Amino acid sequence: MRKFVLIPICFLALAVPVVVLANGVSGGFDQVVSSIETRYHVHADRIPMLGLVSLVAQASTHDGVRGMHVAEIEDFHADVDGEELNKLVAEKLGSGWERVIRETSRNGGDQTLIFMRPEGSRMGMFVLDLGGHEMDVVQMSVDPEHLREKIGEYGHRD
Amino acid sequence: MKNLVGVWVLAMAAIAVPAVAQNGLPLPSPVEKELAARASNVTEVTLGKNMLGFAAKFMDGKDKDDEAAKHLIEGLDGIYVRSYEFDKEGQYSAVDVEKLRSYFEAGGEWSSIVRERDKKSGESTDVMMKMVNGQPHGLFVLDAEPKELSIVLILGPVKMEDLSKLSGIGGLGVLGDLEGNGNKNKDKDKAKGPKAKGGGDE
Repeated sequence: MRKFVLIPICFLALAVPVVVLANGVSGGFDQVVSSIETRYHVHADRIPMLGLVSLVAQASTHDGVRGMHVAEIEDFHADVDGEELNKLVAEKLGSGWERVIRETSRNGGDQTLIFMRPEGSRMGMFVLDLGGHEMDVVQMSVDPEHLREKIGEYGHRD
Repeated sequence: MKNLVGVWVLAMAAIAVPAVAQNGLPLPSPVEKELAARASNVTEVTLGKNMLGFAAKFMDGKDKDDEAAKHLIEGLDGIYVRSYEFDKEGQYSAVDVEKLRSYFEAGGEWSSIVRERDKKSGESTDVMMKMVNGQPHGLFVLDAEPKELSIVLILGPVKMEDLSKLSGIGGLGVLGDLEGNGNKNKDKDKAKGPKAKGGGDE
């Protein structure tokens, strides 16, 4: 019986700090999402137990990906000015982030923003994608070395 | 009177030189704002010096192509790509292309090295180079197709022989064409060599 009690306790002991840490370091991410919620009057769904998901992703990719943050906004029907959205994200993400890619459609219905920042030997990536009345916001830390190796596996060989 | 002339000359020079953003890349010309409003899709890729330096660290030094690309991007100040896609033909004119071209030429540092016009298809390609102390220090490519307009701006010391190695980077596919540009058999108008500033313009 003791063993059965210990398993959930150990699980909680492991999961809680992971969730707390994952939420704690995401100041920029959370600020961006809450600013979008306020500005466009929408509600973002946070994925439950994302800290644990992030941990699993970290293990399964051999530390290739870590620190995942995901928010999904469904029923996004507000009119979007690409310039304004870009400014809002850049402001709330904070310093160190550089916008690398921006794709925008004329009616504002499709928007893609990719920001990056060096994090030691890793690369922080922030991706915002709006299309088909759904907005997805993702932030993660990737190991470029690992990523290059993985991409190489699927690359063209002469 | 001399002072007034001096002030006027300085003011004109300030207007003529493209404005520079905080990341060292020139700010988009006013024409680009108009184009963006008309385009159905706009894609921008901006790689500053920091990001290029960081990317270079992770390029495979063992691969010959990667090694050349790594060497090239390590010294660059930035890469900037803009692509405007239009729903139908005729949503931009040759005048818009000329305005874009002259925006860069106005600073006096950029020399036209390739100017190609295909009268049948309406396609055109402009390549300009920035020379500093006789060395290439920037490259500007303007590629116009009936429904797409692409701008590539590379700032920093540029090695022409290594440029095609960058064509694998998103949006820089047009650089791969530069190598084989001389073999195209089209109705064209070209001026080669950095000294040919404005040459070939009719």
